[in-house]
Amino acid sequence: MYPRPIEQASPPARWAYKILLPIALIVWLLPLLAVALTSVRSAGDIISGNYWGWPSEFNMLENYTAIFENTPIGQYLLNSFKVTIPTVIGSVALSCMTGFALAVYRFKANLLVFFMFVAGNFIPFQILMVPVRDLTLQLGMYNSVSGLVMFHIAFQTGFCTLFMRNFIRALPRELIEAARVEGVSEFRIFRYIVVPLMKPAIAALSVLIFTFIWNDYFWATVLTQGADSQPITAGLYSLNGQWLAAWHLVSAGSIVAALPPVSMFFLMQRHFIAGLTLGAVK
Amino acid sequence: MADLKLRDLRKSYGDVEIVHGIDLDIDDGEFVVFVGPSGCGKSTLLRMIAGLEDVSAGSVEIAGRNVNDIAPSKRGVSMVFQTYALYPHLSVYSNMAFGLKQAKTPKEEIDRRVREAADALQIQDLLDRRPRHLSGGQRQRVAIGRAIVRDPEIFLFDEPLSNLDAALRVQTRLEIARLHRRLESTMIYVTHDQVEAMTLADRIVVLRDGRIEQVGTPIELYDFPANAFVARFIGSPKMNFFGPDSLTNPPPLVSDSAATLGIRPEHLQPADGERALIEGRLELVEELGEYVLVHLIGESGNDFVAKLDSKPSAAPGQTLGFAADHRRMHFFDHDSGRRIVSPSNIESAEKGSGGEHLAPARFPVGSNTP
Repeated sequence: MYPRPIEQASPPARWAYKILLPIALIVWLLPLLAVALTSVRSAGDIISGNYWGWPSEFNMLENYTAIFENTPIGQYLLNSFKVTIPTVIGSVALSCMTGFALAVYRFKANLLVFFMFVAGNFIPFQILMVPVRDLTLQLGMYNSVSGLVMFHIAFQTGFCTLFMRNFIRALPRELIEAARVEGVSEFRIFRYIVVPLMKPAIAALSVLIFTFIWNDYFWATVLTQGADSQPITAGLYSLNGQWLAAWHLVSAGSIVAALPPVSMFFLMQRHFIAGLTLGAVK
Repeated sequence: MADLKLRDLRKSYGDVEIVHGIDLDIDDGEFVVFVGPSGCGKSTLLRMIAGLEDVSAGSVEIAGRNVNDIAPSKRGVSMVFQTYALYPHLSVYSNMAFGLKQAKTPKEEIDRRVREAADALQIQDLLDRRPRHLSGGQRQRVAIGRAIVRDPEIFLFDEPLSNLDAALRVQTRLEIARLHRRLESTMIYVTHDQVEAMTLADRIVVLRDGRIEQVGTPIELYDFPANAFVARFIGSPKMNFFGPDSLTNPPPLVSDSAATLGIRPEHLQPADGERALIEGRLELVEELGEYVLVHLIGESGNDFVAKLDSKPSAAPGQTLGFAADHRRMHFFDHDSGRRIVSPSNIESAEKGSGGEHLAPARFPVGSNTP
């Protein structure tokens, strides 16, 4: 059997394993630990250069209330939700439909259309920075939440379509054919047969897109400015400008910014169990 | 209930034609089985009747109406799939009610029909369960129930028993036969299993490479196979074939015209000396209780099987002789595989619908046999 359980390894290997594993873990988690620790330090620690030592005092409550009271982080957070949630709904809904069409129907340009969706994913998005900014300016969507949403939906649908099309393709085709013979309309087949079976895919994709969009920094800074429309990733950067070297507050803000995608994952993880199609066919 | 007519039905994918002009009439209430080896186009044919595949040329007529361009749902057919195709997220009840619900059938009517079908198939206790909690046989019965509730004019079965184990297959086969007797509807059934074909069918359609090889009742196909392919396909164990070199006393038709002689294992009888038609070295004996299968190697190295009532006393390696009733002999043209009617069995041939060719006429291989 491979891999063999570590208990069966030679004693030196076991010792090495027991020592190296925690070290690797600590090295890997170090940046995260540093940010968490900094977020509870006092301003005095930062000024005196106590970055890695034990905090002189724990200012958790003070720091976390301070960022909400003294900075527009609440607004930034709200903006992030206003950008992320519609993008997730929009791109997942669109890709369910495009994926269904590309997976189920045979038409001439089917593969061509599909490859265009896929090929879009391979374009390095940085090269689109200038044209996209120009486009949003001309459309009057620059520096608006809706503009950012539209842009993200357009960009994410390519990847989502690839994902959904392949998932639907893997569903037993007879299910759709059985429904057709039974006189169920194509839309109802989509709505009552395919969508219920896509639940695991929808859940997985939603979490993925939620994280992508929430963590997006590039387009947030390219297409928006100011607390009215900027999401939290871009907003954190401006926090630093307002409090020169107020790293303890920026760290607290980072932790707050990281919470939604993490909790999203834990909330949705049970939906990942993709055993739903079991029992459809032998 | 309805009759079905196929007229020069063809199917091609791109330049490749896989169904080559099928003509077939199926009467109202008839149970017809399409049988053939895999890749012979039988499933494609069924899917064309269902409307799941486009018709490339020719026509499908159900109850006198050309349905080429009519959606599957409007054709009045129900289909049972090999993989059952039950909706995994719906209960058994909802699975059976789904189609009716979409057709806006009144609730009480749906309920009545589902319960009726469930009673008939003895799945009343399973109505609340999900398909994944059912065994293979139960799933297949639900799939059949789903077809029944729609009260279709034609039932289509696409290898419905292939995924079941041997015991369940026999049982479900019986249930389908009972169902046909009770509903008296037209049924078309696709299988590659000749036993299913023989037991269920009013008429069997043997297909090969997208062409019909022969159409007839099971007994017609058994007694008068139109060609060597049908002869080999129908009956188990397979028919034995003998060329002129492998016979001890070849009948004139074989020695003169290079015809091939076919004899079913169950029609070979032990015979000694001069009476022996064929001789073979005993290789292996399979005792099945009810009968014994004797595997032999003939004079020209060909192997053949005899189905006997009791075990021969000979030891392996010893030579045994066999003969057969001349009425049980089948002659096939060596090149075309077509049936040749010999003077000795012309009498019986006239009663059946088998071959009508008196001379060892040569026909192109695989041409249609109406």
